[in-house]
Amino acid sequence: MISVSHLVRRFGPFTAVDDISFSLERGEVVGFLGPNGAGKTTTMRMLTGFLPASRGKIEVAGFDVLERSLEVRRKLGYLPEAVPLYREHRVEEMLAFQARLHGLSRADGKRRADEVLARVGMGDRKRSLIGKLSKGQRQRVGLAVALLPDPEVLILDEPTSGLDPLQRIEVRNLIRELAANRTVLLSSHILPEIEAVCPRLIVLHKGRIAADGTSDDLVRELGRETFVAFEAVVPDAAEAVRLLSTLPGVDRVRDNGLVGIHRSFEIVSNDDVREDVGALAAAKGWAARELSWQRPTLEQLFARLALGLDPADAPDAVAAPAPAASVAQPTFAEHALPTLDANLALGVPAEPKPGSYNLNPFVTPPPAEGGADDGDGVCEDRP
Amino acid sequence: MRSFLAIYRRELAGLFLAPLAWILLCVTLFYNGFFFLAALEQSGGNVNASLGYLHRGPLWYLVAFLPPLLTMRMISEETRSGLLEFLLTAPVSDTAVMIGKLAAATSFMAIAWSSVLVFGLVVQLLGATPDWGQLCMEWLGAVFVSGLFSAIGLICSALSGTPLLAAFLAILSNLVLFMVPTGARMARGVLHEPALWIADRIDVRAHFDGSFQTGALDSSHVLFFVVWTALGVFLAVRIVESRRWMG
Repeated sequence: MISVSHLVRRFGPFTAVDDISFSLERGEVVGFLGPNGAGKTTTMRMLTGFLPASRGKIEVAGFDVLERSLEVRRKLGYLPEAVPLYREHRVEEMLAFQARLHGLSRADGKRRADEVLARVGMGDRKRSLIGKLSKGQRQRVGLAVALLPDPEVLILDEPTSGLDPLQRIEVRNLIRELAANRTVLLSSHILPEIEAVCPRLIVLHKGRIAADGTSDDLVRELGRETFVAFEAVVPDAAEAVRLLSTLPGVDRVRDNGLVGIHRSFEIVSNDDVREDVGALAAAKGWAARELSWQRPTLEQLFARLALGLDPADAPDAVAAPAPAASVAQPTFAEHALPTLDANLALGVPAEPKPGSYNLNPFVTPPPAEGGADDGDGVCEDRP
Repeated sequence: MRSFLAIYRRELAGLFLAPLAWILLCVTLFYNGFFFLAALEQSGGNVNASLGYLHRGPLWYLVAFLPPLLTMRMISEETRSGLLEFLLTAPVSDTAVMIGKLAAATSFMAIAWSSVLVFGLVVQLLGATPDWGQLCMEWLGAVFVSGLFSAIGLICSALSGTPLLAAFLAILSNLVLFMVPTGARMARGVLHEPALWIADRIDVRAHFDGSFQTGALDSSHVLFFVVWTALGVFLAVRIVESRRWMG
C-alpha cells in the first residue's frame, strides 16, 4: 500500500531524511518512532505529497506521489501534528468542507460526518465553534476530518497529543478498529501507546531507519540481553551459580554478591526462565526474595536514542564472564567504582548497578581499571 | 471545478466570518456614499456624472488598500496555522486553491462596489435616468481591477511570513503600480521608448479609463486584466510550490 524507496530530503545543507526505504501492506498499523528532529514529520509530509523528496520514490496505493499526486490524495487521510482547522467555522461546516473537497454529495457528506463524529466521541458537538473547543476536542475533530473520506491510508502525526488518558484509550481503540481494512502510519511520543497500537515500529534516528520490526524485535536488536534477577538465601553461592547455569536456556549466571542476607544473581538468558529458577529454589529450599525478568523497554531504547547514545555502544552493557567458567565475574563497573555501601558511606551518589540501564545523560561509566574492553562489550578481568 | 467551488465557498464564508471584512465593507459603503452625495451636490444633480465620478477618484484609493487587507491572511496565516498543508494535501490542485482564494476576494470586492449599482437604483426610483450600460461596465471594470490587485495581494501573502508584512508589501506594490505609469507619462520627454512601453503595459488606470469608464466592453482591455491576473495567480502558485521545495 505504501512503498518508500531510497528517500532523501535535504533542507539546504541539512539532510533531514537520509536514504530510507520501507513498505507497508494493506491493513498494517505501523508506528513511527524517534526523537524530535529524527525526520518523522518530514517523511510523513513527503508521503502525503506536501513536501517533495530530494531523491527517492514514494508510491501510495500504486500511484507515484509526485506524478499522480491527486490520486494519492484521494486515498489519503492525513492529520498533521498542528491540527489544521478553521477556528471560525462550526465542526459540521469543517466536515462539510472536507466532504466537498473529496467530491462527496451533500447527503453522503452529512452521513459520513455523523458517523465519524460519533466515532471520535464528538457527536454532540457538531454545532460547536471550533475556536471554542478544547485542544483535545480539536484533536478529535481533526481526526474526524481525516477519517471523513474513508481513506485507504491514514497518516497520523501525533494523533493523541492533547488528549486525556481516557480519550487516548478511545483513540487507540479507534485506530485498532480502523486498521481492519486500512493502512495506518502514526507517530507518537507516548511509547506505551505506540507499542500497544502498532504491531510494527519503524525507529528513525538522525534521518535514518535505526530499526524496523516488532517491539520485541527492536528490543532484541537495539537493546541488550535480558536476564532474570534472582535474590535468595543460599547456603553455597558457588553451588547455586553452578545449578542455575545448568538450567535450560541459561547462557551464564552472575553472582552480584550479598544484599543483606540474600545473595543476588543475574541469570542471563534470552528466554524467561523464572519458572525453572523458581522450581529450583523450591527444590533446594532457598528462601527467594526476588524473581523477576529484566528486559530493556522500548521507552529506555527511545530515551537512549533521544540522548544521542548509540544503542549498540551501551556504556552500561552487561559484561560477560570468562567463557570457560560460566560463572559470575565482576563487570567493569564493579572494578571501576567503589561498592554501593561504600558510596553511601562516603555520601557519593549511587551509580547504576551492573547490568542496569543507565539513562542519565550526566552519568557516564568511567573507563575500566584493571580490565580492558576488547570491543565486543565484554570486559575481561585482569587482576 | 467542484473542488474550486469548495475552496471558493470556504474562503468567501471565511471573509464574512471575520470582523475585518465587515469593517472594510462598512468603510467602503460610507466612503462611496459620501463621495456620491458630494459629487451630486457639486454637479448640480447630474446623476450620471456623479455615479461615474465614483470610478474616477475614490475607486483607486480603495483598490490600493482593500485587496491587500482581504488577501493578507489567505496564504501567510494559513501557512503558519498548517491549514495550507491541509489544503495542499487534499485532492485539489494548487491552482484551484489559489483561484478559489482569488475569486473569493474578488467577489467580496464586487459586493463592495455594488453600492454604486444600488445608488443608481435609488436615483432611478427617485425619478432620474441613470445610464445603466455605463454603470454596469464601470462596475465590471472595478471588479476586474479588484481581481488584479487581489492577485498581487496573494503573491505578497505567499511571499510573507505574517499577514501584516503581506499587507504592507501589497499596498506598496499597488502604489508603485499606480505611480510608475503616471510618472512615466509626466517624464515622457525624458524617458526612452522601452521604459515608456513598459509603463504603458502596466498602466491599469489607462486600461480602465479607455474601456470600462466609457461604458464600452473592449476585449483588449479585458484581456489586459485577465492576463495580468492570471500571471499573478501563476506566480502565487509557483511561490507556494517553491516554498514547499525549500521546506
